[in-house]
Amino acid sequence: MDKRRYFTKKVLNTLLTIILVACFNFMLFRILPGNPARLLLPKGHFTAKALAQQKKVFHLDRPLWEQFGYYWVDTVEGHFGDSYAQKEPVTQVVGRAIVPTLVLVGTGTLFATIIGIIVGVFAGWRRNSTFDITATNLGMILYSMPTFWVSMLFILYFSVKLGWFPSGRMMEVGVTYTSFISKAGAFLRHLFLPAFSFAITYAAEYELIMRSSIISVMKEDFTLTARAKGASDTRVLWSHVAPNAMLPSVTLVMMNFGFILSGAILVETVFNWPGLGLLSYTSMLQRDYPVMQAVFLLASVAVILCNLVADVMYYYLDPRVKA
Amino acid sequence: MNNDQIPPRLKLWIFIWTPFIWLLLELLLFPKDRPVSSGLANVMGGFVDKRIACYPGWTLWLAAAALIVIGGLGLRARKKSPRMQVIILAMGILAFIWGFAQMGFTQFALGGRGSSYSWLFQTVFVVLAAVLVWSWGAANGERAELMVWNTRETWRIYRANWQGIVGLAILVFFAAMALLAPFLVNHAWLSPNASVTPSAFAPPSFHNYLLWFGSDEQGLSVFAEFVWSSRISLFVGILATIITTVVGAGAGIFTGYYAGWIGEFGMRITDVFLVLPWLPFAMVLAAAWGQNYAIIILIIAFTSWAGTARLVRAQVLSVKEEPFVERARAIGSGDAHIMRKHILPNVMPLIFANAVLTVAIAVFSETTLSFLGLGDPLNFSWGTMLEHVFDTGATEIPTATAYLFAPGLAVVLIVLAFNLIGTAFDEVIDPKLRKREQSTGASRLPSATAAPDPAPD
Repeated sequence: MDKRRYFTKKVLNTLLTIILVACFNFMLFRILPGNPARLLLPKGHFTAKALAQQKKVFHLDRPLWEQFGYYWVDTVEGHFGDSYAQKEPVTQVVGRAIVPTLVLVGTGTLFATIIGIIVGVFAGWRRNSTFDITATNLGMILYSMPTFWVSMLFILYFSVKLGWFPSGRMMEVGVTYTSFISKAGAFLRHLFLPAFSFAITYAAEYELIMRSSIISVMKEDFTLTARAKGASDTRVLWSHVAPNAMLPSVTLVMMNFGFILSGAILVETVFNWPGLGLLSYTSMLQRDYPVMQAVFLLASVAVILCNLVADVMYYYLDPRVKA
Repeated sequence: MNNDQIPPRLKLWIFIWTPFIWLLLELLLFPKDRPVSSGLANVMGGFVDKRIACYPGWTLWLAAAALIVIGGLGLRARKKSPRMQVIILAMGILAFIWGFAQMGFTQFALGGRGSSYSWLFQTVFVVLAAVLVWSWGAANGERAELMVWNTRETWRIYRANWQGIVGLAILVFFAAMALLAPFLVNHAWLSPNASVTPSAFAPPSFHNYLLWFGSDEQGLSVFAEFVWSSRISLFVGILATIITTVVGAGAGIFTGYYAGWIGEFGMRITDVFLVLPWLPFAMVLAAAWGQNYAIIILIIAFTSWAGTARLVRAQVLSVKEEPFVERARAIGSGDAHIMRKHILPNVMPLIFANAVLTVAIAVFSETTLSFLGLGDPLNFSWGTMLEHVFDTGATEIPTATAYLFAPGLAVVLIVLAFNLIGTAFDEVIDPKLRKREQSTGASRLPSATAAPDPAPD
């Protein structure tokens, strides 16, 4: 398959999936029990006039197929209505939360990838050594840990018992920082615990994947060839085995990055980090359906786009796909 | 009955397992008519009646109807020796009468109250089931022998994997805790009025077993909550897995077998479910549909069947190119027959190994959803306990350390156990993953769990 056809197919698939997900989003928020217009208003306090107006805003006075058309127009134009909990347009509420989540999840993913891949490479390379057995079993245990529980343990030890890091929020409340450096330092201190507890489960996952893919690549013929040529251990590992074994991990990292929100919800809830995760948690508690709808769409599209990126990266990283 | 055909080991197994299964059933049905707000019985009974911990009468009648239909259809097919069908029919009729003996629809409590002869019904039912297996063995001697051989071989390979054994040990420990919960801690200690200490967050003490893990924010025994939570966590996990596996495997076989536009369309739908971010999705559904375990189970199944479907489909695509499928088609087997008798047995080991891993995911999901406050607020599961820990700020109270540790550690151990067991099963299925081949002379199949022979037409 040549490059153009491969990419065209992937992009078309992605577009199709996005359209299907958007349709699903439309249906999901209309099969909710009760009148959507009433759900979109705060419980209790509304008048018939407000209800009618709300119906009009969401075109609920029209037949379903027209609603569907309006839904598409609104989605493409970015009209998601107003969050009734915060009395602001949903796009603003969501927009504010994106950057903190990206910073948190980006840092966490960076930690996880570096730790996981390096440990995995060495564990797979020295298979059945003490290091491998320790790392793999530890990885299995860490992989089984709920993120929120790890976060709570970290709060207990590092912020309550030892007092090294603050136990929540992105910044200290009511503190003005004199210089940029002290501000950045405070931010990093707040960032460390959430990012690290986010990273732990993923690091374990990447370690396990990396180890098994190193082991399978080591059985390939080209490894033997490299050895036969007389390449040193280090060279065999870092220029022949590791690059080829990196593929599954890289795609996994990319695909997990798409599921950014599922991980972020737990960590952000525990650490009170003002990102998309906390936003979706609070909007769920407040039954803030407009926000939930937008966040849900955003999260699904993120997954799909990351899958596309993973496919593209796969193309450039794996020589066999090009054939 | 031609008893010579039964493999002797199968006879032995029947004699060992029949009383064991009777015991298991007895423990499962134990809470009987005690007015509890938690426990396995209420999770099931909660589908229709929230007040009492009893299994609804229709569960038994549903089972009876299923058995009667299966037996009746079997009899209509005019097999040469309809003994098995007759036994199934008898089991169905027994279950039907049993249902009647339990005072009808809502007041029904298996094993207790309704009729004092319930234990007799239960015993006869289990014995009939044993006779059914026996007569299957007598009628299909060769297949029974193959099954026995396969099972033994699977266990032999499995037990060589120490991680799998550790996982199994952890699982047996928690399963025993769940089943024996009524004998370990009286359920009355879960009542909001049953404080063991006057103050909140009492530290652990070893004088009173109720205070092994200290007390919670209301002075309730954390140990009691911990023990009873195991029932909910395991039950929700396993039931969600059953639904996930049935739906996922069905979809996988279907889309894999009909690879044309039907399969392609099915795959698109599966893809959509694969990319849906499961936690926000589950939160939306739980927020909309309400908070009880039936909903939680459905949500977990709804968000995780696609992975199973995709895995099974890949396997089906390769199995259906095998010569025996072509042979079956050539002699005129229908699609349904091929899927049931040729494809399904060949993907079964994969489905099973995947199901074990799915339990880990399901327990994990239940804990996560409960932690976010989407679980049943009237019951205790490990996730709910962690939610209480977080909500009451017990994370920062030094005396409540055990309250934070116990449920979390239990979840870690259970998830770890299922992951270990699943990995060990992967090794049984895929000889390439094994550390070294243990060859044992006479081998009748290329590998121990190589797919069973396709059924004779």
